[in-house]
Amino acid sequence: MLVGDFSECAVPTKGNGAGLVSGFRIEGEAAERRRNARSQAASQTLTRLVDRLVSPPMNRTTGERIIFWALPGVAIVWIAAFFLFPGFLPPMSPKASAIQVAAFYAQHTSRIRYSMILFNWFCVALIPILMLIVERMRLMAHRTPVLRFCVIGVAGAAPIVFLTSTIFWLLAAFRPYRSPDLTLLYNDLAWITFTCGVPFLVALCLFVAVAIYLDQQAKPVFARWVGHFNLLIAVALVPAGFAGLTLSGVLAWNGFLSFWVKNVAIALWLIVMAVALGRTLGRERDAAEDFA
Amino acid sequence: MKRPALLDEPKRELWLAWYATVAFYSLYAIVFFLVTRTQPPGKPWYDPTQVVGWFANRHDGLLIGFAIIFVLGGLSATSIALITYSIRRMSVSRAFSYSYLVLYAVSAVPGFLFICVAMTVGAMRPERNPVIQRWLYDLGFLSFSGTMGVFLIGSLIWMTAILLDKNRVFPKWFAYLNLCNALTEVVVAPSWIFHVGAFAWNGVIAWWINVVVFGVYTGAFIYLLRCMILREDFGTGPLPDLPSRHWHTIFPAEVGAS
Repeated sequence: MLVGDFSECAVPTKGNGAGLVSGFRIEGEAAERRRNARSQAASQTLTRLVDRLVSPPMNRTTGERIIFWALPGVAIVWIAAFFLFPGFLPPMSPKASAIQVAAFYAQHTSRIRYSMILFNWFCVALIPILMLIVERMRLMAHRTPVLRFCVIGVAGAAPIVFLTSTIFWLLAAFRPYRSPDLTLLYNDLAWITFTCGVPFLVALCLFVAVAIYLDQQAKPVFARWVGHFNLLIAVALVPAGFAGLTLSGVLAWNGFLSFWVKNVAIALWLIVMAVALGRTLGRERDAAEDFA
Repeated sequence: MKRPALLDEPKRELWLAWYATVAFYSLYAIVFFLVTRTQPPGKPWYDPTQVVGWFANRHDGLLIGFAIIFVLGGLSATSIALITYSIRRMSVSRAFSYSYLVLYAVSAVPGFLFICVAMTVGAMRPERNPVIQRWLYDLGFLSFSGTMGVFLIGSLIWMTAILLDKNRVFPKWFAYLNLCNALTEVVVAPSWIFHVGAFAWNGVIAWWINVVVFGVYTGAFIYLLRCMILREDFGTGPLPDLPSRHWHTIFPAEVGAS
């Protein structure tokens, strides 16, 4: 029988002896060596089973696959909105005058509105995807849910920052014939929020990387390289935070680092994490079938 | 190759979160007080020309300091996560811990991101119309001081959990310090109304007293979280005592009673 806090007892940790430690059943290295891949999968499935016993019965795997397979659909909307917004290709220059910016909003009012309404609707669709990662983190060989709480802590704010920038863009396009100074203000607020607003994405990548590095078990939830990849993405997002420092060059909001590297990094992160998530979902389904 | 000791430390996630918390609050203090010099805050009664002067005086500091927050501000989630964990370790419903987590997670955008955006936008175009510069100045300071509800309710949630808790995760006196922190969010409300005086956003009550309470509160909980990690036994019952000669000063009544 399992004792202790079931939701956290996903898998045993290496080291620290064997047996019961303060209400948790911790298996030691010797036991871990004896265990083969099948029993590992079974123990993970058992954890899921315990989870189900303490929450209303439902088909978790199917639900998670629905969220997962919604991602390509959402991604198509994101890509469509990206191309629809006339200010991204090429990215608007921070050196444009108030008159030029006002003229841009007057000229492209409809496309700005439609693209930003699309982003406003769907940018928060990132949250369910992040929750799939949070659910995978339950299966990691962690002793506490602290890293999961860290990810939940930034999962909401990350897309809300983007949502805030869409509000400024939509405000700018709402009355394109207002004073150009005010349109320039909204445009600056939108671009700075959109470009510099990376703190939660940087933290998310760092938390996921640390979670993967600490997942010390025979068959970790995500491969080690996914952790390295998350660190790399965190580094790629850093220059965007400095976009306010200059109106031209690679750091400016339309520059190589702040616009292209940052946005390509986010797109890459989504693709790679989707593939990594897809693999774990498939593995869990196989484990569930084995157990049944 | 030698296996890093951290990987075998059962409390590794807790310690990582704790050190990140210390790093975040240190960075926060340095950026707001020294780099951007947005604390103590500017004067709410400045006219547009004075606001332009205020921005000019801090131009590089604002842009560099808030860029650092734009990059590392997400580390604030580590303290939220650790406090959520501490409430979860108490003998109270998980509704308390999850409430705290959500309240503080949503506070980040109005609570510190708005000031970063407003001040960066203000500093990046010093030639902008002074009236609009003052609009950004107001947005920055009032969103920072005036994001009240999440901290008010969050502190009350934490306070209630500590008072109800039988696991002695936090000492009861800290519950009342939570109440003090909640009260600072009450007395800061008039800063939305007054431009001068003790209740203005830079006033004796709305800023000076509040910042002292917040400083003591933050220092106390960082220390108490460290104690909690040292005492953590991964069980579900009362936390064991810390083997320290100073321990009686932290838990005076409760240690005596147990």
